Amino acid sequence: MTTYIIRRLLYTIPIVFGVLLLTFVLFKVVPGDPAIQIAGKGASPQVIEEVREEYGMNKPLFFSRDSQFLNHVKNALIFDFGRALDRERVIDKIKRGLGPSLAITIPMFLGILIISVSMSLFIAFAHGTVRDVLVVVICVAGMSIPYLSFILFGQYFLAYKWWIFPVFFEPDLPLYKCVALPVLIGIAAGLGANLRFYRTVMLDEMRNDYVRTAFAKGLSTKRVLFKHVLKNAMVPIITRVTLTIPYLFLGSLLLERFFGIPGLGYLMVEATSSRDYFVINAVTYISAILFVLFNLLADICYALVDPRVSLE
Amino acid sequence: MTSHEGRPSSIFHRPSFCRGIHKAIKDYALKFVVLISISVILFTGCGADPNRDPNELVIHSVLPAKIGTLDPGNWESIYEHIVLAQIFEPLYEYHYLKRPYEVVPLLADGMPQVSDDILTYTIKIKNGVYFHDDPCFQDGKGRELKASDFIYSLKRIADIKNCSKNWWIFEDKIVGLDEFREYTKTCQSEEDVDYCRPVEGLQIPDDYTLVIKLKKPWPQLIYVLTYQAVALSKEAVDYYGQDVISHPVGTGPFMLKTWHRGSYIDLVRNPNFRKDYYPTQGQQQDAEQGLLDDAGKTMPFVDRVIFRIIEEDQPRWFLFLRGQIDNIIIPKDNFGQAIAASMDLTPLEITRHGTDPLILGDFLMGLTPAMTKRNIRFNTYRQPSTLYIGFNLEDKILGANKPLREAISLALDRAKYIELFWNSRDEIAHGLIPPVMNSYNPDIKKTGQRYDPEKAKQLVRQAQKIYGLRQGLRLSSAERPQPSRGKIPTLKLSMAGTDIMARQIGQFWQRCLKDAGLDVELEYLDLATFLNKIRTKSAQMFYCLWTADYPDAESFLKLFYSKNISPGVNSFNYRSSEFDKLYEKASCMPDCPARVELYRQAEQIIIRDCPAAFINHPVAYMLYHDWLGNYKPHAFQFGLVKYHKIDKRKRDAYKELVKKTK
Repeated sequence: MTTYIIRRLLYTIPIVFGVLLLTFVLFKVVPGDPAIQIAGKGASPQVIEEVREEYGMNKPLFFSRDSQFLNHVKNALIFDFGRALDRERVIDKIKRGLGPSLAITIPMFLGILIISVSMSLFIAFAHGTVRDVLVVVICVAGMSIPYLSFILFGQYFLAYKWWIFPVFFEPDLPLYKCVALPVLIGIAAGLGANLRFYRTVMLDEMRNDYVRTAFAKGLSTKRVLFKHVLKNAMVPIITRVTLTIPYLFLGSLLLERFFGIPGLGYLMVEATSSRDYFVINAVTYISAILFVLFNLLADICYALVDPRVSLE
Repeated sequence: MTSHEGRPSSIFHRPSFCRGIHKAIKDYALKFVVLISISVILFTGCGADPNRDPNELVIHSVLPAKIGTLDPGNWESIYEHIVLAQIFEPLYEYHYLKRPYEVVPLLADGMPQVSDDILTYTIKIKNGVYFHDDPCFQDGKGRELKASDFIYSLKRIADIKNCSKNWWIFEDKIVGLDEFREYTKTCQSEEDVDYCRPVEGLQIPDDYTLVIKLKKPWPQLIYVLTYQAVALSKEAVDYYGQDVISHPVGTGPFMLKTWHRGSYIDLVRNPNFRKDYYPTQGQQQDAEQGLLDDAGKTMPFVDRVIFRIIEEDQPRWFLFLRGQIDNIIIPKDNFGQAIAASMDLTPLEITRHGTDPLILGDFLMGLTPAMTKRNIRFNTYRQPSTLYIGFNLEDKILGANKPLREAISLALDRAKYIELFWNSRDEIAHGLIPPVMNSYNPDIKKTGQRYDPEKAKQLVRQAQKIYGLRQGLRLSSAERPQPSRGKIPTLKLSMAGTDIMARQIGQFWQRCLKDAGLDVELEYLDLATFLNKIRTKSAQMFYCLWTADYPDAESFLKLFYSKNISPGVNSFNYRSSEFDKLYEKASCMPDCPARVELYRQAEQIIIRDCPAAFINHPVAYMLYHDWLGNYKPHAFQFGLVKYHKIDKRKRDAYKELVKKTK
């Protein structure tokens, strides 16, 4: 096991190096000169060239001891992503937005997970009944309605019309009050797709012989569902959960934008549109590391929940 | 690596161990994640302020976009300027009430003394102006402002290590400042730059006198000094280093309390602010509207200002109706809720309300009953902006085909566009200079650009002949087509923005040009890529907005000066010696009828050569609650909050009213 983990961690080196190389190359290939952005709206060619020199953008790309790529790798390894185009430290930007973003995404993720997994068990058990059909119809409807509609209607009725929640982030209110509505909307919008997925997983399990045997042995429905079916369905659940967790770090753009939550949702979008290489690099790099680590965690979890799985 | 062999191979497959882990997961995992999520929600920095005074007077304002910096030497967006202008003060400002706009001293003690050759400006600085109290100063007490602080501010903009976005404004203007910039290039780092190094054009004969020497006449300097080179202390920059972007230390009426990036900016009143008085003079209607009721009173009138960053229209509108923000530009989709359908607010109609280039009105009559019931007020003002479709004159198809450019201009249905996308609020642009400028030519409606689809079709046929002829000249005689058959290839229009609105506007222009017989392909780009494209001369046609920095049409005409071609601001790559001569002559002249005439002549040359099709001049429609007092819109000045006041009684009454209608 330890050997396996060490080996997997070693694999992360070429993966992360590849990510760094890819972001660097892409940034050089895609049009949009950050020097123009930094120099300002009326800058002359000379000033733009001066800025390029100041930021080291005129250094050799690869083949030099002081090349742009080598500096890029060195800084990434020590998590020094420099300053964004607005001069704020990129790492401070991430630290600042992480809390508010996770305040939305973690409860949303947990809410969706708990509700959809538990409901899917009952729906799978009631497969073919009116209740099952009704839930599937509601799920499909939920999946078909655009995310933005959930936000607009939720904000209009639950906040503006009925005064249950604040319309927007209030500096003088505690954060939990401000994120309650976005979390609720996020759960409502995400439930359809998740419930359908977990229902399929549970249905696959319910059709297995061991379920029939368990019922034949006289076990209670609750015991069969939670002790046997849920346990055996853990592998796809773990896969989905562990692959979702790294996304939590990226926040939720639309919810943050409509409810004024100062999170990370906008960070990557704005960085891409303003060609903020420093931010794009940092977010891509951290995301890559998180993906690798959570993949590893998924593999370890498989072994923990399923005795047939071994790590070699 | 995973496998499904079911073969116990390590400690992790011993049943007792696995059971232990399972139990641990079952017992603690859910509790653990729930605990984490609750902790994240509760301990992430935001919460109620228990020390808040319930009687404090607060202005709740809104910014529709995030701001990136509070560094006064490096701001670029208008929203950054709005916040900075409450904290930092320049030497001059515009009179709050008088129109046309009049520059008056702010930190300067009087207007500048200008030498006969109009190359030397001597500016006296007010005594007894202090910086905000801040740890960057000895004992945390703000020190007195000196003339040297303005020199520091200017040198910092010139310092290449600081990479200021605003250097271009001062480039090749002040004696010795360009040399100072050259010197900073030789320094290894920011810390190595010697700010004591003398600059010939920036001198301080005493602590309260600043002398600026120019290389050539620059009459726009007085305007530039209303928004650039604000009083900045070296102590703050040294103390906070690069983090000075979030630690603004100025002399203004407000100080930064909290900047929650991407969410809100909380400013509190500067307790040591000097005696600054509300203006005692204004226009006739100002007295009628109560704008002179506080004449001579000490400013500011409020204790706190909160700028909330709300990018979407819906929450902004809801918060305004709830009384949680004080004023708002009417969102496009809520226009019908605010303005009565019976009110004809065409530009012509509005103009009748005004007595000067800035249109006015403090209307109640145009509002819907729902708005008047809430005592919401309504005001409109012209913005110093022009929207246009620019042509890259270095493009082979457009550059050598003036009839084609004219056809495009004639094919654009500007009135329909304004009706569809701006609720008929904006004014049609017949030329470059917007009506808010004093050099706006009222006759431009007759002589300028207009919508004429029939003429456009005729010109397209003419353009096809020219294009066919030029194609023919390039081809060999065997494959040479008839000159009259030269079909114009599909043109490409670059749009700044990838949102739905940008797409709808693009499709509208595409349809207009299709009606004239021209095929257009649309390209939607984010702002950075768009700017890069026009600055590298890669765009063929581009839909763009330009806003003036000061009330001088030079701010628009420089867009067509040949020395400013891409990557400078002349994205049209337009070259005309005739225009250049007029521009060079006029831009050095002080404001006078002769200069106005030259500006108008220059504008006519632009209209004749058609490097752009001008579309509209935006007009802002502003709603505000009746508790916001002393409110008068201003097109160029941004440090306006100190003039505003709040009637807390009215605000509380409104909140009660809204709760009753809940």
